[in-house]
Amino acid sequence: MATLVRVDDLRKEFGKVRALAGVSFNVEAGEWIAIMGPSGSGKTTLINILGGLDTPTSGQAIVDEVDVARLDESGLTRFRAQKIGFIFQQFHLVPYLTAVENVMLAQYFHSATDEKEAQLALERVGLADRIEHLPGALSGGEQQRVAVARALINHPKLILADEPTGNLDEANEETVIQLFRELHSEGHTILMVTHDPAIGNLADRRIEFAHGRLVKVTPSNDASRNAYR
Amino acid sequence: MFGRLVKESFVRNPRRKLLTAAALVVGMAVATSTLTIALEVGDRLAREFRSLGANLLVTPQSDTLPVEIGGVDYRPVNEGAYLSEADLGKMKTIFWRHNVLGFTPFLDVPIAIQQSENAAPTRTMLIGTWNAKEVPVPDGTTFKTGVSVTHPWWKIRGRWFRDGANECVIGAALAKTMPGIVPGKVIYVSDETGVNSVQDHSTLAKGTPLEVVGIVSTDDAEDKAVLAPLEIAQNISGHPGKFRQLFVSALTKPADAFSERDPLKMTPTEYDRWFCSPYISSIAFQIKTVLPGTEVRTIRRVADTEGNILSRVSTLLWIVTLTALIAAALAVAATSATTVLERRGEVGVMKALGATNTLVAGIFLAEQLLLAIAGASMGFVLGALLARSLGSSIFGTPASPRLILFPVVLGLAAIVAFTGSLIPLRRAAHFNPAPILRGE
Ligand SMILES: Nc1ncnc2c1ncn2[C@@H]1O[C@H](COP(=O)(O)OP(=O)(O)OP(=O)(O)O)[C@@H](O)[C@H]1O
Ligand SMILES: [Mg+2]
Repeated sequence: MATLVRVDDLRKEFGKVRALAGVSFNVEAGEWIAIMGPSGSGKTTLINILGGLDTPTSGQAIVDEVDVARLDESGLTRFRAQKIGFIFQQFHLVPYLTAVENVMLAQYFHSATDEKEAQLALERVGLADRIEHLPGALSGGEQQRVAVARALINHPKLILADEPTGNLDEANEETVIQLFRELHSEGHTILMVTHDPAIGNLADRRIEFAHGRLVKVTPSNDASRNAYR
Repeated sequence: MFGRLVKESFVRNPRRKLLTAAALVVGMAVATSTLTIALEVGDRLAREFRSLGANLLVTPQSDTLPVEIGGVDYRPVNEGAYLSEADLGKMKTIFWRHNVLGFTPFLDVPIAIQQSENAAPTRTMLIGTWNAKEVPVPDGTTFKTGVSVTHPWWKIRGRWFRDGANECVIGAALAKTMPGIVPGKVIYVSDETGVNSVQDHSTLAKGTPLEVVGIVSTDDAEDKAVLAPLEIAQNISGHPGKFRQLFVSALTKPADAFSERDPLKMTPTEYDRWFCSPYISSIAFQIKTVLPGTEVRTIRRVADTEGNILSRVSTLLWIVTLTALIAAALAVAATSATTVLERRGEVGVMKALGATNTLVAGIFLAEQLLLAIAGASMGFVLGALLARSLGSSIFGTPASPRLILFPVVLGLAAIVAFTGSLIPLRRAAHFNPAPILRGE
């Protein structure tokens, strides 16, 4: 399998705070990686750099042959629109747009809107009957599924999910995790930050952070996978 | 999608939008009314000024062509025809007598001035006229008139002569050339022909003594002459009871297509309407019937000072317009700065999803443009109404709204809305999404 993500001696400092202190690892295409570690260990910082939301202080972060460290502002914007699908803990839907419009928004920033396709994407995440609802009228789990549909709509190379189940109750968490399993089996490459070891065990590998350093990489096995509820 | 985003952002937070729109409406209303008045003001002021001073000149019909150099009539005094001062009371018997605000007769005589009885003479012109004469009207009343009514822009230092007294005022330019002459001094004036025939000053006929009581500046030919009561000019020239020119100040209705028509070719009803309208042409016609053998001409005098006032008024209007526009832009800036801050979150999400800076700026700009259109439309209507009432109170007739101004006002509103939101907009476009998504 081809290597999709190549991180080499990546460092990020916010003033005196060292969020990343030299991180190196690779991600193969189609791999599902769980990023774990205590609060403040640099997980979000890594996700933001790989997604082109932030730039590293030094080091390389190559995603699909593009070194995001070398992109300028407009290059990063294009990179985000074309290669990345983001899923956030807070969902971050646009509150005054309906579910289908939120999905179409991503299409619009990428190229052109296609309502039919956006509706299909929502059906795909099980929201066929919530298409015209505003985010405020949706449950947390439903909102996160809209966000998943939005992240997938442009067929991104890399899906970056920062604690996607962090704000969900157990039932909703299960539906969303089920979605990720399906995405993984379809061949999507996923980097997901999580605090839940059970969820982490579902991934192909767990990468653990502490104080901005990668401290442990654990490959999963079928036994641990089946342990998830 | 763009339209959807703009529409959604436009309908949200109606209170703040209302505030921005109100600022634009007020700014545009002021701009519309001042521009409307500015367009109108040239016309209007010119008319106002014309109605202030004399606007008709009555001369004898058989008069030879005037030989005027620098405003001074160089025809020999006894040549040409004269009008009779005694007839002037009839001016207040015409149909539009109440519109006749004043009239002043003039008689010019070439004279020689001496500062004392044996001093060297200076040749100049004596203009006989009325200062504030009580004119007997045939109906038994009197009408007081003179240069103060027909020539209100003439400036006097000292005081005017009294009609019937041996007094005079001298033109400012003449006063400069004869430094000895100051108010209170007596000069001697005599018919210039007497000087021509007698070379020896000592044998010169004794002149008429006149006390100088003031110095007049007119910015015209009178500045080089001596102005004295009409009677004195009549006596010196040997034409008692006569005059040469009559300046009439009449309140008139502005000329229009109808007033320019030949009254002889009108139907009786049209003629009645024309005769009963205070057009300058109908008043002139009526003057001719009471002063037969005269010719009545209209004078269009736009003095330098009038031009000055015109340009000052329009400068003032421009300043008011500019101030209103700047104030509107500041109000727009304030509200759009709050809007941008408030919508930081969704801007961050859009940028994370790959929205370009241009697109984000475009959404805000389009919204401001919609506001500008709304504000300009309402402001235009309001401003037109404002101009109407302002025009009425300042000029007596309402300033008519001009549609041509609408695109101008629309453009101004767009400029105001854009410049006002430029800084907040730039900030919005360059928001860094990462800290926003983190919730900072
Ligand atoms: N914009 C910033 N400015 C200053 N410090 C920052 C900024 N972003 C992150 N940090 C710091 O960098 C370190 C790593 O932060 P990061 O958000 O990556 O942690 P995390 O592993 O995602 O934590 P959590 O599990 O709480 O989300 C922290 O100490 C944080 O305070
Ligand atoms: Mg985090």
